[in-house]
Amino acid sequence: MDSIKAKVSREIAAGDIGPDRKCPYHPCHFRGQNCSFCYCPFYPCGDEDLGHFVSSRRGERIWSCDDCLFCHRDGVVAFAYGRIRELGLEAGDPRFLSEVFPEAKRRFWHRGRALMVVGATSDAGKSFAVAALCRIFMRRGYLVAPFKSQNMSLNSRVTVRGAEIAMAQSLQAQAAGLRNADVHMNPILLKPKGDVVSQVVVEGEPFADYDVGGYYGEFVPKHAREIVERNMGHLLGRYDYVIMEGAGSPAEINIYDRDIANMRAAEIADADVLLTVNAEWGGSFAYVVGTLALMAPRDRARVKGIILNNIRGDPSRIHPGAEELERLTGVPVVGIIPHLDVDLPQEDSEAFRRAGSRGSGGTRITVVKLPRIANFTDIDPLYLQDTTVDFVETPEGVLAADAIIIPGTKNTIRDLEWLKESGIASVLGEMRGRVPILGICGGYQMMGVALHDPNGIEGGEPRDLEGLGFFDNESSWEGYAKITRRRHCELLDGGGDVEGYEIHMGTTEVREKPLFKVTAIGCADEFEGSVREDEMLYGTYLHGVFDKPAFRRLFMSKAKGRGGEAEPADLEDYDEHVDRNLDILADGFEKGLDMGALARIAGWGERVPCCSWARPPALGRPPSTRHTAGISPRGVRGSSRSRPPTSP
Amino acid sequence: MGQAFQAWACGIEPTADMNPVLVKPLGGGRMQVMLRGELFMHVGPGTSIPKDEVMDRVCESYDLLCRDYDRVVCEGSGSPVELNLMEADMANIGLMRARGVPAVLIGDIERGGVFAAVYGTWLLMPEDVRPLMRGFVINRFRGDASILGSGIKKVEELTGMECLGIVPYNHLRFPEEDSLSSKGGGIGSGSIQEGFVRNLDELIASAEETGLDFSRFDEISSARGDPDRLNHDPIADGRIHRDRHPIHYEYERLRVETRAACRLGRCGSRRRFPPLPLAFEPEAHSPSTSSAGRFIPPEGIRPINRPVAAECA
Repeated sequence: MDSIKAKVSREIAAGDIGPDRKCPYHPCHFRGQNCSFCYCPFYPCGDEDLGHFVSSRRGERIWSCDDCLFCHRDGVVAFAYGRIRELGLEAGDPRFLSEVFPEAKRRFWHRGRALMVVGATSDAGKSFAVAALCRIFMRRGYLVAPFKSQNMSLNSRVTVRGAEIAMAQSLQAQAAGLRNADVHMNPILLKPKGDVVSQVVVEGEPFADYDVGGYYGEFVPKHAREIVERNMGHLLGRYDYVIMEGAGSPAEINIYDRDIANMRAAEIADADVLLTVNAEWGGSFAYVVGTLALMAPRDRARVKGIILNNIRGDPSRIHPGAEELERLTGVPVVGIIPHLDVDLPQEDSEAFRRAGSRGSGGTRITVVKLPRIANFTDIDPLYLQDTTVDFVETPEGVLAADAIIIPGTKNTIRDLEWLKESGIASVLGEMRGRVPILGICGGYQMMGVALHDPNGIEGGEPRDLEGLGFFDNESSWEGYAKITRRRHCELLDGGGDVEGYEIHMGTTEVREKPLFKVTAIGCADEFEGSVREDEMLYGTYLHGVFDKPAFRRLFMSKAKGRGGEAEPADLEDYDEHVDRNLDILADGFEKGLDMGALARIAGWGERVPCCSWARPPALGRPPSTRHTAGISPRGVRGSSRSRPPTSP
Repeated sequence: MGQAFQAWACGIEPTADMNPVLVKPLGGGRMQVMLRGELFMHVGPGTSIPKDEVMDRVCESYDLLCRDYDRVVCEGSGSPVELNLMEADMANIGLMRARGVPAVLIGDIERGGVFAAVYGTWLLMPEDVRPLMRGFVINRFRGDASILGSGIKKVEELTGMECLGIVPYNHLRFPEEDSLSSKGGGIGSGSIQEGFVRNLDELIASAEETGLDFSRFDEISSARGDPDRLNHDPIADGRIHRDRHPIHYEYERLRVETRAACRLGRCGSRRRFPPLPLAFEPEAHSPSTSSAGRFIPPEGIRPINRPVAAECA
């Protein structure tokens, strides 16, 4: 405690320093955070709204406030320094807790507000709409977090604390300027294992497997509501706004009362709701009218706006239809968003299911499209290079490759059997040594010499399978245990950083030369992956292995084809690439949205931004002179009727 | 091209009457309009197709087919209720109006929201053709179909349309509309035809397993409506019964009165488009699939001789 006191003393002496961009960890929480109180003068405040008690290894109760962002708000910091001056406070003074903190909490702490985006269908553009809104709110200086109560996804990421959440929420957290997505943003994750059964992951831990009937019949009534309340409450206690994402359609009337993903979540959060529809597809007006008509009136009353998304061609062609839609439903159309060309990680959407090939560059990268493929966003950074990426399901497709990738999968054993049955396994054997071959996670396990599943965890029945035999490794699935963790590594010959995360059941006994050295603090002699350089065979458990340039360059350089000779300057850090595209996305939404309506719905007039430094809007105009974007200054409608006609 | 394969499925050769209007995009917003196999006109941005003249020719083709065949199955185009396109619609509402053709609505459940799509489409159909909507099919379903039951029942009750079955998601390959035209001389080649019909047989078999009832389609098609009686009252016709379809019965009753009120000028404004859908408010605390509740008429309309909110008996 004494060293903390010393640090707080130094902070008191230094005064309000705002964001400390020279700090190597900046921003450790969120963009625009005030770094004056790196060590909080109110510790330990004991306020359950902001933190919680944990047990130390020795069984002591310790106050944990690692989720708290309160002392990084400009208003709180300014107020604290004011009181420090007036009362002549020094570090450790009891008045911090007895006087200053209660006053600060009274003035500056308020429960967040929730705004929810639901879609008339899947693929309505909800995820990107939420990401855009997160970025838009962040630009105005608000502390904003994403939330999705229940997500069904094959693309997941791992948080800093080792919890698994959906890719979309991780991307939205990045859009919100948050350094660390956390599990509260996606408390229920469903990972499909086939057509009918999914693995349910709750707050980062695998919970159980359910089929559809079991999920809605058992899991939701018994557990889901409480999970959503707890996690929603956690976020609303720390952020100014929570932008919620729905799942599927909110009007699936056969499960309406049990659907925790849409209107029930909106009710728990008391959220206002925006309904989006993908206007590129036929029948979008019918979807909007039908969705609203099938909602219960108490839920329909929450819907404050309609967004027509992904419009191809001239957006003004849709104005007459949009006006008619407003008249029919009584809900204003607050957004007419054209199709935006952004390069961002996708959910496992229908677009991917049909995807054959992307790009037309010099190096042909072939990805084996395993039936239960997972985390295919691992491939995304390769699109930045001079590549043609093919997703193939036949042996012929593999023969034309300059480089081959065996990706991650939800079920290694079953997909390895498919690999053999389809004939791709033997073609891979032929290609061995001729082109570089990389196995990621499940693919890496397949490259080993044997796979043991004595308890039938992957395959249903106990199996012992021969692997591809590229590496002399053996993988086994002992129990229903999953490894999820982030890893910081570097290429073994000092060739640069690699960052990624592991998500897998099953462990591997490695008998090959490692590919990476782990550089995280406290992992002195740990290594990761396998490599046989002369045969150009690579394997790793790391998802996101291509995000940082070093390994991407190495792998590409081994591939024949023009794309291999990339200049070092051409390799962009993928995180920066994503961030740039998030800005493009947000700009597109700001142009197409009725920003006045958004401001009214969100209540920006009633909420002071937490950062007095707000990032200037990308379009270069200061906020005060910006008029509402959209079709006309008052949006699509001439008259402003906002009450649905159905309220008696 | 789609009609060519559909003709072969019928065991007959395709003719121009089966697809009387063909619109070929030329790029830059310009299109070539073919009428019964011959070039009719070019349209571009700013010019539009003369609807009446074209509809006449379409009906000629239709009548020819009806004369020569026992049953004619018509394929619609896109959604029939694209609000900004409905006035000029020929392929969907246009044909239904002109010849009183009964219709079945296909909904794609793969993306979710199928109940909303079916109900929303039905709500937006103009009043005069809405009684021609006789049934709906749920397509591309994956998984256990028993979970859909209560939703299907609710939509049936709300609309009076019958659910004709659920078609499972299939991986069968059918030729895409556009891909064929670029392959040129593949038409009529024995192997493509045979392969197509084989796939079709598989699809039919798997659909019948999940309850698709083709005899119902047959019954619907033989009940072809008389276009002069398009505004008929399904209650007076006996098609809708208060006991079997309590919600829909109430809706129809209110709809008829609402329309009468509009005609008498007892409503807020003149309308070209269908009246605002009547909202159904379920009884408080009843499960969302029950039929207990009442309809709330659209604002500004006072039905004749009734108080503003009508009760469900």
